[in-house]
Amino acid sequence: MKLQDLINPAAAKELYLPVMAEIRDVRKLTELETLYTVALPGGAELGHQPGQFVAVSLFGVGEAPFSISSSPTRRGVFELGIRRVGMLTDVLAGCTAGRKIGIRGPFGRGIDVERFKGKDVLIVAGGIGLVPMRSMINYVLDRPGDFGRLIICYGSRSDRELLFTDELEKWRRNPNVDFRVTVDRGSPDWTGHTGVITTLIPGLNLDLDNLACCVCGPPVMYRFALLALRSRGVKEKDIWMSLERRMKCGVGKCGHCQINGSYVCQDGPVYHYPEIKALQEAL
Amino acid sequence: MVRFFLERDRVADLVKHLMERRTVYAPHRKGRRSFAFARTADPAAVVLDYPRTLHSVKKFFLPPREELLRFDLTDDTFAAGEPEPSGAAFLGVHSYDVAAVRRLDHNFSAGNAERNYLVRRQGAVFIGVGFEPDKFHFSGSVGIEPDDTAGCDAFLTKLLDGYVLEILTPTGRELLKGLELPPYEGNDPPAHPFQQHIYVPQSRLGRIMDKSYEHPVWAEASRTCVGCGTCNLVCPTCYCFDVQDHVDITATGGSRERTWDGCMLRGFSEVAGGEVFREGLPERQRHRVLRKFKYLSDTTGVPWCVGCGRCTAACPAGISIANIVNRLVGDAERTPVAPI
Ligand SMILES: Cc1cc2nc3c(=O)[nH]c(=O)nc-3n(C[C@H](O)[C@H](O)[C@H](O)COP(=O)(O)OP(=O)(O)OC[C@H]3O[C@@H](n4cnc5c(N)ncnc54)[C@H](O)[C@@H]3O)c2cc1C
Ligand code: SF4
Ligand code: SF4
Ligand code: FES
Repeated sequence: MKLQDLINPAAAKELYLPVMAEIRDVRKLTELETLYTVALPGGAELGHQPGQFVAVSLFGVGEAPFSISSSPTRRGVFELGIRRVGMLTDVLAGCTAGRKIGIRGPFGRGIDVERFKGKDVLIVAGGIGLVPMRSMINYVLDRPGDFGRLIICYGSRSDRELLFTDELEKWRRNPNVDFRVTVDRGSPDWTGHTGVITTLIPGLNLDLDNLACCVCGPPVMYRFALLALRSRGVKEKDIWMSLERRMKCGVGKCGHCQINGSYVCQDGPVYHYPEIKALQEAL
Repeated sequence: MVRFFLERDRVADLVKHLMERRTVYAPHRKGRRSFAFARTADPAAVVLDYPRTLHSVKKFFLPPREELLRFDLTDDTFAAGEPEPSGAAFLGVHSYDVAAVRRLDHNFSAGNAERNYLVRRQGAVFIGVGFEPDKFHFSGSVGIEPDDTAGCDAFLTKLLDGYVLEILTPTGRELLKGLELPPYEGNDPPAHPFQQHIYVPQSRLGRIMDKSYEHPVWAEASRTCVGCGTCNLVCPTCYCFDVQDHVDITATGGSRERTWDGCMLRGFSEVAGGEVFREGLPERQRHRVLRKFKYLSDTTGVPWCVGCGRCTAACPAGISIANIVNRLVGDAERTPVAPI
């Protein structure tokens, strides 16, 4: 616990310079979300953990953080699932294959997969929270021997907003996956479960002594998801949460992402629940 | 320790001596009652007796606006920004501002070290000067006395007819070599008392901050706060920033720039979907104060408020950080705080 001395600039890395990557493929997921396949120059691997993120930039427009949606087990390229909400994401929505984009990262602490190994994996994803959780889901599916059962709870506002519908179908049909989906409000032809995501949790078949769970969704979801998990007897030490905050640098310098004394871009975005329990600003 | 006597009439000689060897930044008068660090062109314009400058020397190492890279829109290439090593002599810096630089050094050296800051900071020489505390200074309460020479290469202490010049480091000795001055053999000049204080020893502040989360002072301070962020901008230890792209008028290129940002501004914590994690002014004020007195202190062992009084002097609502802390101290001390 002391101040670090000034170091020589020669020992410092460039923190803010992107690598120029290329969009290889663009696939519309819904009205608002698009999936981008991105390749680094020279076929370099991104080398990420599920749950980590990159900073994406277009010169003249800006830079923003986005989760890596593909699993590190799928090599060569990586995927980003991006919702149109503003300046950068609007311009990205109009981008086609071949467009150069700046990439910095991977940043942050992703899911500590070692601590999930050998256990049943429960993923609770709300809305766009499925984008980062898909990285972990496909990681588990690609290494079936390493994990127990995979249980996925996915909640969306409506069935029209469901992401990765082709993959959802595969997960539903996979005998090793317990896949549950719900929508807040279904359209007339929706035959599945209706209700907020927490309504899926009471019906789950859980082995409480052999479980690791990761939650990711909109800010309002966390407290309710936590309550639902706790009331099912899920232990706090078995819960991880991926949190979102405004981020400008990704490297622990700009201060935007702070939750009390913790920098989400460094200590998170994936936190072990016992670490954030005492942080008043976390949930 | 080598001490010399610098007669009042010879201050200009000192400035000239420095200017012949280095770029010199020193306090200059800006308007009737304000002062600013600026590049010295005229030795006579340097003011060594001043209460505080509007901004600290931070602006030379972490400029308010800085180019991180320049991009070319015609071919999607870019070039890194080129920060210039300052190598300058900073003359007439107060102890709390040197202490603030020490904290910034930590921030940009620890974890992911940042080249931009480190390059600008490289080779800087500090020649401190003592100060007479006014009604806003309270650095003594956070362990920084007016005659604290920590981090300085040389230090000036005011006498009636001039200054004591103390040489503190080999760099200082080298830089001041050739400036013929008589030795100073008198007594230590008297210390000036502070008018503003935090009413508890620094070592107890951590515990008090731990108990302060739900305190009414955050809401009280917010009744008059307008959320302008001035307190962040003038603070010598605030380092948070924003990054934005700017396209040149020709639309063929532009630059990615970082600018100072502040946690008192509403947009600071806003994310997609419209959620603002510190929506209310009480939460923002609490974050600002706890950052100075708890969050960063918990990991570095020192307060990150250096007691310069700038935020209070510049606040349009007259909100005083020392008063906020003292309010917390008063209430915490009524219930016993275990000694550390
Ligand atoms: C770790 C992390 C992972 C993320 N992963 C994804 C993802 O996988 N897919 C996805 O679609 N979005 C993701 N986001 C959100 C994404 O960063 C924002 O949607 C993006 O910043 C909006 O940029 P914009 O220029 O289009 O919006 P702007 O025009 O800048 O603003 C639109 C909205 O976005 C908010 N916003 C602006 N800058 C940021 C920022 N730096 N961080 C957070 N919010 C911001 C604004 O406050 C505003 O509400 C993630 C955010 C974080 C922090
Ligand atoms: S300077 Fe004063 S009014 Fe402005 S944000 Fe800070 S405390 Fe509030
Ligand atoms: S918080 Fe205020 S008094 Fe403390 S260092 Fe910053 S500007 Fe100075
Ligand atoms: S995003 Fe800049 S400090 Fe975390």
